[in-house]
Amino acid sequence: MTYYMYSNTQEVTPYERMMASLNGEKTDRVPVHFYPRWAALEYIGATFKQTWDDPDLYVKGQILAQERFQYDCIIDYDMMGPVEEAMGAKLKYPENDVPQIAEPLIKTKEDMKNVKWKLDPRKDGNMPKVLYVIRRLKEELIKRGRGTQHVPIMTWGSCPSRTVACLTGFKEWFLIVARDPDWAVELMEKALDGWLQLVIAAWEAGADCVWVNDPVSSRDCISRDHYYKLTQPYERKFIEAIRKETGMNITMHPCGNWHDRMDLVYENQADCYFLGPMDIELCTKIAVETNEKGLSRVKALNGNVGAATKSTTDGQTAVPYATTMKRGKPEDIEKESKAVIDTVEAADLRCILGTNCWDVKGSSFANRDAMVYSARKYGQYK
Amino acid sequence: MSIIEAIRKNVYDGDENNTIELVKKALDEGKRAKEILDEGLVAGLRDCGDGFERGEKFIPEMLMSSESMKKAMEVLKPLLLEGAGGASTGRAVLATVEGDVHDIGLELVATMFETAGFEVRNMGPDVPTEDIVDAVKADNPHIVGLSALLSNTMDVMPDVIEALEKAGLRDSIKIMVGGAPVKQDFADEIGADGWAYDAASAVPKAKELRAQLPE
Repeated sequence: MTYYMYSNTQEVTPYERMMASLNGEKTDRVPVHFYPRWAALEYIGATFKQTWDDPDLYVKGQILAQERFQYDCIIDYDMMGPVEEAMGAKLKYPENDVPQIAEPLIKTKEDMKNVKWKLDPRKDGNMPKVLYVIRRLKEELIKRGRGTQHVPIMTWGSCPSRTVACLTGFKEWFLIVARDPDWAVELMEKALDGWLQLVIAAWEAGADCVWVNDPVSSRDCISRDHYYKLTQPYERKFIEAIRKETGMNITMHPCGNWHDRMDLVYENQADCYFLGPMDIELCTKIAVETNEKGLSRVKALNGNVGAATKSTTDGQTAVPYATTMKRGKPEDIEKESKAVIDTVEAADLRCILGTNCWDVKGSSFANRDAMVYSARKYGQYK
Repeated sequence: MSIIEAIRKNVYDGDENNTIELVKKALDEGKRAKEILDEGLVAGLRDCGDGFERGEKFIPEMLMSSESMKKAMEVLKPLLLEGAGGASTGRAVLATVEGDVHDIGLELVATMFETAGFEVRNMGPDVPTEDIVDAVKADNPHIVGLSALLSNTMDVMPDVIEALEKAGLRDSIKIMVGGAPVKQDFADEIGADGWAYDAASAVPKAKELRAQLPE
């Protein structure tokens, strides 16, 4: 089978390739998924705000950019905020970035009474808009047939720790963790359902798989002990609830440096882990070990060509993946991609080639192309 | 344990109430505000930062320590400003870059700069690049301090530097960068003038850079 950079004549569709990898199976080659928000927006020359105001423009961007770049998965709005907003938080909508919390909703325990914890994603806030985009993406993909653009749609869910941090403000969340862990637990317990309902509705609207993330429990943020006792149990509960309700394959993104707790992360029972700026060999080794002990069900690792830091901040484990996607050259992407593919596949886990953080705004098209090209060049299954 | 050592330990432990009481007691005993700041509060916070580097302390504990220091600074600051004699060391505009909501480090740098005699405009977290450019135009500062905690927002720093260059402001200022993922090599790579490990070491670096600019 021969592959060309812009060929539309592949025999395996992106859907088959991506979903097989999420299930630990091989098709023709390693798929590529780098959460292509900015690739799509930059390709159609639109800002995030423009596509937020015009959901059909967002759909157009995702469809056309996938056609252009030939990666193996597309994403919905994939952003923070719709659930938190429906709960009562005020968001601000920057011109070219995802919405952000304008001010904390919960400052005291009393404020919990003002939060709308029970949500209906089909009615509340901007959640219907998120669902509309998923339905439209699905319709467009179906129109285009089961050939070149049979592409899976990945939706997103926020782990309870992150949701609560958005509601309280990140700084206050960390103080709650230190001063009042019982309150931290109460907040996570209440916050879980909102995002769960949106993920279920997203699945019903046509999403094929989901990723969840937690940017507030890394080694950069809290201790392993706090993670183990406080936030990890709610990540696991969230992941298991999604699986039970939807059956979708779940990818978890431990955002940041989690080197000292990857064993606990893998015990969350996600199928795939979208790795942050961490050592690929170490993360692969720990995944194999926890799988062998029967503590995890890791089937694939997604990542982790450098989108972000030059090194981790633990001062111990160097990570050679520089800020490659933005400042590197195509040959750098190729070299790092090969290292990631070789490492993960050698452990008989499936590699889903990607960045080590979100697709970076302003990365050159040549670098994005290089990643897809690398998967074709180095990721062929014999 | 001396009272200064006790202050240091209580900052390290993040015990806000004890720290304030001990600072008041130290002043009553005739200790100088500068000594309490440098050898008690800053040393305790630096110990906590070292603990962070060693993987023994994390953001919740760092926050408790910085809250203890900030509360104690409310007692010390008037005395320190009195001691500085009212002369301005220079002007500084400080901000955490757009997309990053973290301001613990920024707050500490602002406090340390103020006590060192800088006139500080602390723009807080998540500041759009164009707002930083506008503030530099308006204030004509000597130092622009940029902070980022997240590995994906540190990439905004070179954008800010580029925007300041485009606005024709680059030559009149010195740019410092900092935050957990930011290191000297990154500062060099993006063309910043200075980097500091923590809030305390940011002050001598800022003074050094200030001295390189004309009066």
